[in-house]
Parts: sequence; C-alpha cells; structure tokens
Amino acid sequence: MMNDKAKIPPIARLKYKKGDLIIKQGDYGISIYKIISGKVRIFSESGDREVPLATLGRGEIFGEMTFLNRGAEARAASVKAAQDSELEIWHPGRLSSEYAQMPHAIQYIVTQVLERLVRMNKLVAQITAKKQEDSKMPAKLEESGASQRRYYRKKVNLECVYRPVGSSPKLALHGKVKDLSMGGLALEVRPKNALNFSHDKGDKFHLNMILPNGKKFTATTEVLSAKNDPTLGTLFMGMEFSDVSEGDGRTLGFFMRT
Amino acid sequence: MAVDQLLYVYVLNEEDYPANSVIVKEGSKGDWMYVILEGKVKVKKNTPKGMVTIGTLNEGDIIGEMALFDPVVADRTRTASAIADGGPVKMGVLDTNRLLKDFESISPQLKGLTRTLVKRLSDTTQRAVNLAMK
Repeated sequence: MMNDKAKIPPIARLKYKKGDLIIKQGDYGISIYKIISGKVRIFSESGDREVPLATLGRGEIFGEMTFLNRGAEARAASVKAAQDSELEIWHPGRLSSEYAQMPHAIQYIVTQVLERLVRMNKLVAQITAKKQEDSKMPAKLEESGASQRRYYRKKVNLECVYRPVGSSPKLALHGKVKDLSMGGLALEVRPKNALNFSHDKGDKFHLNMILPNGKKFTATTEVLSAKNDPTLGTLFMGMEFSDVSEGDGRTLGFFMRT
Repeated sequence: MAVDQLLYVYVLNEEDYPANSVIVKEGSKGDWMYVILEGKVKVKKNTPKGMVTIGTLNEGDIIGEMALFDPVVADRTRTASAIADGGPVKMGVLDTNRLLKDFESISPQLKGLTRTLVKRLSDTTQRAVNLAMK
C-alpha cells in the first residue's frame, strides 16, 4: 500500500515564462502545483492593487488551499511566475483518498494550519491596504464624510462590461452606466443577457468601462437596490463601489471634477 | 472537554500554567508540540519595537506545529512566545514522536503539501509582523 501511494504519477509538467499568470484569484481551479524549477509569487488582488503574500521556490507546493477546503471556494490568491519556471501539475482526485486515509491527528493539525494561514493572509492584505491609504491619497472615496467637499453625481450613458465576483474572467456581461458618483453608480442591464446570474441586493460585480475622457476605470461594486422595469424590459441597479484601487479612484475623481 | 478525543490520545502529560505565565518562549530551544486543554493563549513575537500579539488561541488549538513539519532542523528554536492569557491554562504535551511517525506514513505529495503550508504560515506571520512595524 505504501508503494502505491508513492507512485502517484504526475499529471503533467508545464513551463511558464517569467510574468505568466498561473492562478487567477476568484477562479474555480482545482489543480495543485509543485515547483520543479524557478520561482513563483503569490499575491492577493484588490482592484489593480497587488498585495504580495509569499514567494515560493523549488520543491514547494501551491494551489493546495482549494484542495484542503474541499474545492468549495474560489482561488483565494493569484500566482505569477517570478522567473521562468517548470511546474508539475497534480489532479486533486489523486490526493483525495490519501487525504482521507491520513492519520486523524495530522489532518487535525493541517486543518488548523490552513485556517491560520487564511487568517494571516487576510491580515497582511488588510495591513497593506491600510498603509497605502494612510500614506497616500485615500483609495476609498470621500462621499461619506459630511465635512468633505461633496462630489456631484453625473448623468452619463456609458457602455460597460461586468461580471459577478468569483466568475471566470472570460465572462463578459454588458450594461449601461446611467449615472456616476464617487461612491457608486447606476447600471441598466437587459436581464435577458444576464439571466443565468443573480442580480440582487448584496451581489458583487467586477466592472470595466471607458470614461468619456478616454480613461479606463475598473471597480468592484455591490448592488444596493435592483428594480425591474417590465415595460422597457430592463433592470436598473443602484451600486456602491466596494473596492476601487487608488489609481482608479484618482481617475474617477479627476473625471468627476472636470 | 473541548479537545478532540482522537487527538487527546496523543497527550502524554498535562501541565498547568498560572495566568500570564510563559508557556513557550520565542528563541528558546524545544520541539515539543502542545494542545490547549483549557484556557486561552496569546501568541506573541519580538520586534524591534517590543512584543506584538499575533493571535489568540483557544482550547483545541495546537502550538509548535513547525517542529513536526520541519523535522530537518535540529535544535529548533521557538518562532513565537505563547503566554497564558487572562486566566490559568492547562496544556497537553503531545507525543511528538508518534506524530512524526504518523507524518512519515503519509505520501510524499501530502508531506510536501503540508510542509509548504506550515512554511507559508510561518513566512506570512513574519511578513504581517514586519508590515505592522514599518
């Protein structure tokens, strides 16, 4: 039995060039990767901000968190090749039965380590975000501060591409942004284009658009209200920005003031 | 008893610590693993600006997991301090040799996976401490 265990064949070996994206945060990949040569960088993404979490080298493994979480969750972080790298890719199915047979005490400890790592990763991301906000222009917007100068709401009619948070980056739903402020926006969609996805209060979407001044703007938004208009066949959503990078915040601020 | 029975069978000895006493000191030698049987434990790390608390552990939580998954290091030193938090704490000393044997019985893939996980926890904790101090 021990011999069988030791002989799990590697599924594949792949080569990545420096800078290649190996895992994208939010995707639903299940593979586990072992580094044969090279180095990879693990980072968490919020907006276009990257928070470095770890650099791994030869012999180290990544992508294991999804496996240990029983594949229930999307990838918690992104991974890029920091050098030209060769990776061994394991299918988690091969490991599942072994994991189930692992001595209970070891499973117990592994589960704990995993939970602590998830907590620490969050902490690192939080501290980094806070430092960036303290040291530079706030990435989050000032509308809530009553003493701050208020930015106006602008009526616009902008094509935008969006997708639910956690969905494949290849997914592109289309809608029209009808008005825009520093804190959020109103989005009109034709639900027939988006029937397969929930558009309810609390849902989160990644959203991309080109502002009238030609600048690209990307944000993560949360639906505050959703109203159907059966006569027009449209769905009108009030959305709040839940995550805007510092650069995008600046771009938007610049547009709103001009 | 909040501690998992299947883990409790690994407990060799029980030790009592009064409130605020040091259970494990960062930098000291030792590779015993412990499980918290009763009470709460604060985990702290030394920094140039003094001690920083990096977490609070509760009943059932393990201390010293680095020892198990990085057995290559002889004379391992503790990477953090553990301090009885607020009240007395009962610790279970785990049969580390038996845990190591259990660990050796698992496949190389799972071993590698676990080792990476433990190392990443240690690296990430250090990174969080460094960031907080900057």
